[in-house]
Amino acid sequence: MSLLDSLSAGLALVGNVEAFLMLFIGLVVGVVAGAIPGLSATMAVALTLPFTFSMTPINAILLLLGVYKGGIFGGSIPAILIKTPGTPASSATILDGHPMAERGEAGRALGMALYASCTADAVSNLALILFAGWLASFALNFGPPEFFALILFSLTIIAGVSGESLLRGALSALAGLLLATIGLDLVYGTNRFTLGDPNMMGGLNFIAVLIGLFAIPEIIAMAWNPVAHLGRTRALGKSRCTLADYLGSFKSIIRGSMIGVFLGSIPGIGAAPSAFLSYSEARRTSKNKDNFGKGEIEGVAASEAGNNGVAGATLIPLLALGVPGDVITAIIIGAFMVHGLQPGPMMFILNVDIIYGLFIGLIVSSVFLLFVGSVAIRGFRFVADVPKRILMPGVLVLCIYGVFAVNNNIFDVGVMFVMGWVGYIMMRNRIPAAPFLIAFILGPLLEDNFRQSMLMSGSDPSILFRGPITWFFWLLTTITVFAITRSTLRKRVPLS
Amino acid sequence: MPMSQKSLHLRLGIAASLFALFLVLFAIPTFVFAPSNIGNIILSPKFWPYVLAGLTGIIGLSLLANAVTAAEDTPFEDEETVHPEGSAPWMRLGALAVIMVLVMFGLPRLGMVWTAMLAFAACAFLFRTRHPVAALVCAVIVPLLLYAFFAHVAGVAIPQGNFVRLP
Repeated sequence: MSLLDSLSAGLALVGNVEAFLMLFIGLVVGVVAGAIPGLSATMAVALTLPFTFSMTPINAILLLLGVYKGGIFGGSIPAILIKTPGTPASSATILDGHPMAERGEAGRALGMALYASCTADAVSNLALILFAGWLASFALNFGPPEFFALILFSLTIIAGVSGESLLRGALSALAGLLLATIGLDLVYGTNRFTLGDPNMMGGLNFIAVLIGLFAIPEIIAMAWNPVAHLGRTRALGKSRCTLADYLGSFKSIIRGSMIGVFLGSIPGIGAAPSAFLSYSEARRTSKNKDNFGKGEIEGVAASEAGNNGVAGATLIPLLALGVPGDVITAIIIGAFMVHGLQPGPMMFILNVDIIYGLFIGLIVSSVFLLFVGSVAIRGFRFVADVPKRILMPGVLVLCIYGVFAVNNNIFDVGVMFVMGWVGYIMMRNRIPAAPFLIAFILGPLLEDNFRQSMLMSGSDPSILFRGPITWFFWLLTTITVFAITRSTLRKRVPLS
Repeated sequence: MPMSQKSLHLRLGIAASLFALFLVLFAIPTFVFAPSNIGNIILSPKFWPYVLAGLTGIIGLSLLANAVTAAEDTPFEDEETVHPEGSAPWMRLGALAVIMVLVMFGLPRLGMVWTAMLAFAACAFLFRTRHPVAALVCAVIVPLLLYAFFAHVAGVAIPQGNFVRLP
């Protein structure tokens, strides 16, 4: 199928009001949820997922992608106005965004955040369109040993960089892999940790686990400290972001977008490190480096470009390899599965219309984000005034309905509650939840590819190192472990 | 007192090591079943859980080693590890756990809508809402709206319970 045919097929799928309406609604929901501190983009995507069950796959995924992109931008609004990042990715935006708000330039900072976000989003989408197909065609050469090495590398990097400690990240990933072993054995069909309960024979429901891990702990945290969220909202002020401001920061925006694309396309790194790297690069090269941290508009542009540059790029490993790039794409992979689709290289052959439909939708989403974001900046005061102590019980009720709706099974609601407490204990013990969830999703794939490799080779482990592709991933895994261990050991040496 | 990295790693190391022992000595032999005619251990359904249990043990021991050999101990200073004064937070956590257990008990008996209404109201008051009337109104409206969507748009068979049934 030629590129033109693929584009036509994609356009035929999304060329209707309903698809674009879903994308638009998703962006609105995402921006609003991202703007409410404590309701992260991750939670918003997780809570939106149950509403997509009755939709067509393309509409469902466009809605979720809209929530994702809106949520990442929305997180910058409270970061600037109340010094509380709506999402972890917006933490770098606080550094210069909030000092600007204190000077009465919140409107200017938010305007720059929006323009930098939309530019980075467009660059990221372009990278996705250019590279995903190429990577997928390359991945068609992968067999079980290559996929095993790839997934192992992804899990290593996710465990290493998503928290403060490689050991705690690895513990989290191992717990996720162990949880994924519950159910019937993939080859022999015998019971593993099912305790004789038929509800557990198919394994734990993925959506119950993810909502439990990412929504319920916030509700439990609210019970622990109901007033933790209260903060003072700054006014927008009269100054606005001008074309001169945008052009002055354009270099940092493009550099930040590129950093976002590069880091986003590596599974596991996510938006927060990208935002900080983009910010530090902008500070290093800027003429106004002394103003960084005191309210420099270029700092806001760089950090927002860094975190939004990731949004499209994280879909590259998801669509091309079937490996989620971060927690949100891990949830989106769940949406694909719910609708009977398996992301990966074969999807570029079997469901090329959906792939190109998504590409078209993503391009349009950057334009929609500009519009929705402009309105959201002005309407933030209403969003900030939503009483969180009423919102959180609402989230609890939504979780109960949403998780039940997956399989019409009350058992799943119980799994969600249990996982909520597990997630809360992890949060209190500073164990990152992202490696847990991604390992839970990739666990069956990892084991399946390992056992298929062993079956292929008559249990000879050397098959796992059979060619350049596996060597490449093993090398990356070794370098990752070495680099993270080295940086951890360096941190432990006291400064004299 | 704020938690420190050393005490956290000590605690996690002990927990992970004990959990690994529990898996290897009890859980895997008891709850993982393998056909008796498998000649090769690598292909056995027990192999993967044993590998993961072993790795968990190694990570647990590494955490312990990390805690024991740490040169300096810096306390964490953020809200995740800060304990508010008094026993009230613990009581609220306990109350929330009870609400969740009651939800599980109430779902098949009262139905999802009524259970959700009660859970909403109970949580709002547990979180000491400053808008009790709004909370009660939302406690009624939100579950009803969700019921309308899931039952009539998404076609989900929402549990109706034994007492009052909704259209």
